[in-house]
Amino acid sequence: MLVYVINRILQLIPVVFVLSVLVFGFVHALPGDVIDSLAGQEAAEDPEVRAALEEEFGLNRPIYVQYAVWLGNVLQGDFGHSLVTRRPVSQELFERIPATVYLAVVGIGLSILIAVPLGTIAAVRRNTPTDYVAQVSSLIGISIPEFWFAILCIMLFSLHLGWLPSSGYVSPFTDFGASVTYLVLPALAIGFRQAAFTTRLTRSSMLDEINKDYVNTGRSLGLSERKVIYKYTLRNALIPTVTISGLQLANLLGGTVVLESIFSWPGIGLTIFQAIQLRDFPMIQAGVLVLGVMVVLINLAVDILYRVLNPRVGMA
Amino acid sequence: MPDGKATTMERQLRSRQRVDAVDPNDTPLKIRMRRISAGTRTGLQELSKSRTATVGGIMIVFLFIVCLLTPVLATHDPIKPDYRDRLAPMSSEHYFGTDKFGRDIYSRVLYGGQRTIAMSVAAVIFGLSLGIPFGILAGYFGGRVDGLAMRFVDGLLAFPGLLLYLLIVTLAREWKLEGFWNDAILVFALGFAFMPEVARLARGTALVEARKEYVEASKVVGEGSFSVAMRQILPNCVSPLIVNSTVRLGYMILIIAALSFLGLGTPPPTPDWGADLSVARDHMQTHPMIAVFPGLAICFAVLAFNLFGDGLRDVLDPRLADR
Repeated sequence: MLVYVINRILQLIPVVFVLSVLVFGFVHALPGDVIDSLAGQEAAEDPEVRAALEEEFGLNRPIYVQYAVWLGNVLQGDFGHSLVTRRPVSQELFERIPATVYLAVVGIGLSILIAVPLGTIAAVRRNTPTDYVAQVSSLIGISIPEFWFAILCIMLFSLHLGWLPSSGYVSPFTDFGASVTYLVLPALAIGFRQAAFTTRLTRSSMLDEINKDYVNTGRSLGLSERKVIYKYTLRNALIPTVTISGLQLANLLGGTVVLESIFSWPGIGLTIFQAIQLRDFPMIQAGVLVLGVMVVLINLAVDILYRVLNPRVGMA
Repeated sequence: MPDGKATTMERQLRSRQRVDAVDPNDTPLKIRMRRISAGTRTGLQELSKSRTATVGGIMIVFLFIVCLLTPVLATHDPIKPDYRDRLAPMSSEHYFGTDKFGRDIYSRVLYGGQRTIAMSVAAVIFGLSLGIPFGILAGYFGGRVDGLAMRFVDGLLAFPGLLLYLLIVTLAREWKLEGFWNDAILVFALGFAFMPEVARLARGTALVEARKEYVEASKVVGEGSFSVAMRQILPNCVSPLIVNSTVRLGYMILIIAALSFLGLGTPPPTPDWGADLSVARDHMQTHPMIAVFPGLAICFAVLAFNLFGDGLRDVLDPRLADR
């Protein structure tokens, strides 16, 4: 196990390397350079000023040296300063991460609560009207764009019925009750779409398990159908479901950009989106890099968890 | 189901014998053409047995016909504003009503669909043309080349959700690309993001096939590596790639809509499902119907590809059928 974990961590290094090169390359592919945006038009055209500034920012050094310097700073947690607020980027970003994690975790949790019972029933009552309804509704669920679903929810629950606020965020630590009312709609929008995926997954992995020999053995030993299904089959079928939900959590961290902007949810997605609009490039660069690394780490954790849950999977 | 597969294969074999038996003196080209048409016919028969594939297929055909006939079906100019007729309700003049500039929503939905679907198809083709050679060559050569190629693919896959598109689209905006080039860069981004998935699938097949005897035989006969990889190995990974591409088409429609919803797609006044939904947000309270039609159009298109992809997978991969 330890060898496997170490191996996996070593494999991450090239992945993070590719990620960092792409993110570093992004800023260098932008037209113009830092000097144009820092110094005024005239100063930028004056060769002496330009040379002095290039010297100061290290822009006259070869690109791989610049990359190495940048990477060294990043590894020490220094992503530079936001061009808009002039505050350190790392500070701005890390303030925003909890809101995104909060939303993503609740959304995924909600989807599991909906999807696991639905998928199980669909598999147990396979090829009955119940199953068809579950299958068709999950297919429709994955075909609805989440931002449209979110708009429809806002129109119904906040504008028409007036039950819930249409957008905004309150930290659960300041006022838990209010926080929940703000959380319901965005979490529902995430949960709905994820539930559609997870239902399909649960159904197919349940069907996989139901056809296995041990299920028949259990039945022939006189165990009740309920016990066979819910105690043994479901438990095995949930392994892939939990794994994929973990991977989706990783994906959601970067995928909530649209929902965060609809609901003015001050998470990392909204931060990156605003940075794009304000042309705050150090912020975009750092945001994408941080999210990418988080995704890689969550994937690693899920992989290890999967092997702990399911020791039959080889350690290769 | 194994028996299901056997009967399918038997049927295909029988139909091939029947086709070949027509006239043994025919030219090879004629025989080949006849085989292709017979193969298509059997394929369609198989597909028609799957209810999801049938429904999805009909929806896709409908979509493409509507896209081709858009100039005929549209009743108004999708871009020209008409300030005397703003926010009009549904009527025989404006089937879906008008938006805040008095533009006909029905015509905008049609033109928006034409653009979105053309872009998705182009992006899938681009992604396939990047990913297939990449994956097959990686799997074919194996070893260090493969390891290096796959780490690159993993690095691309580590971009969560929309972020890769956001980076590329931001670049496009900074370079002040307009009109055609703006769409082209979006197609590039979508195709580029599809590439890792294609490469992985192709590489998996190539890794298995490259060690088989027939590949060895082709090499002995003196065929070059590239030619072996493309002519002998490629056909083996066609069916998973077709299924993936179909489902991906639907996903790309969603991404295009999401990006233009954020205001990062094609700038106004070009008709676009996502951008029109974003505009409709201003009138949620007073004119909720404006937000309905572009959304329904997105759902219809995505559902069509998802249904067809699902059905196609059942037919092409009988082990998964009935799941």
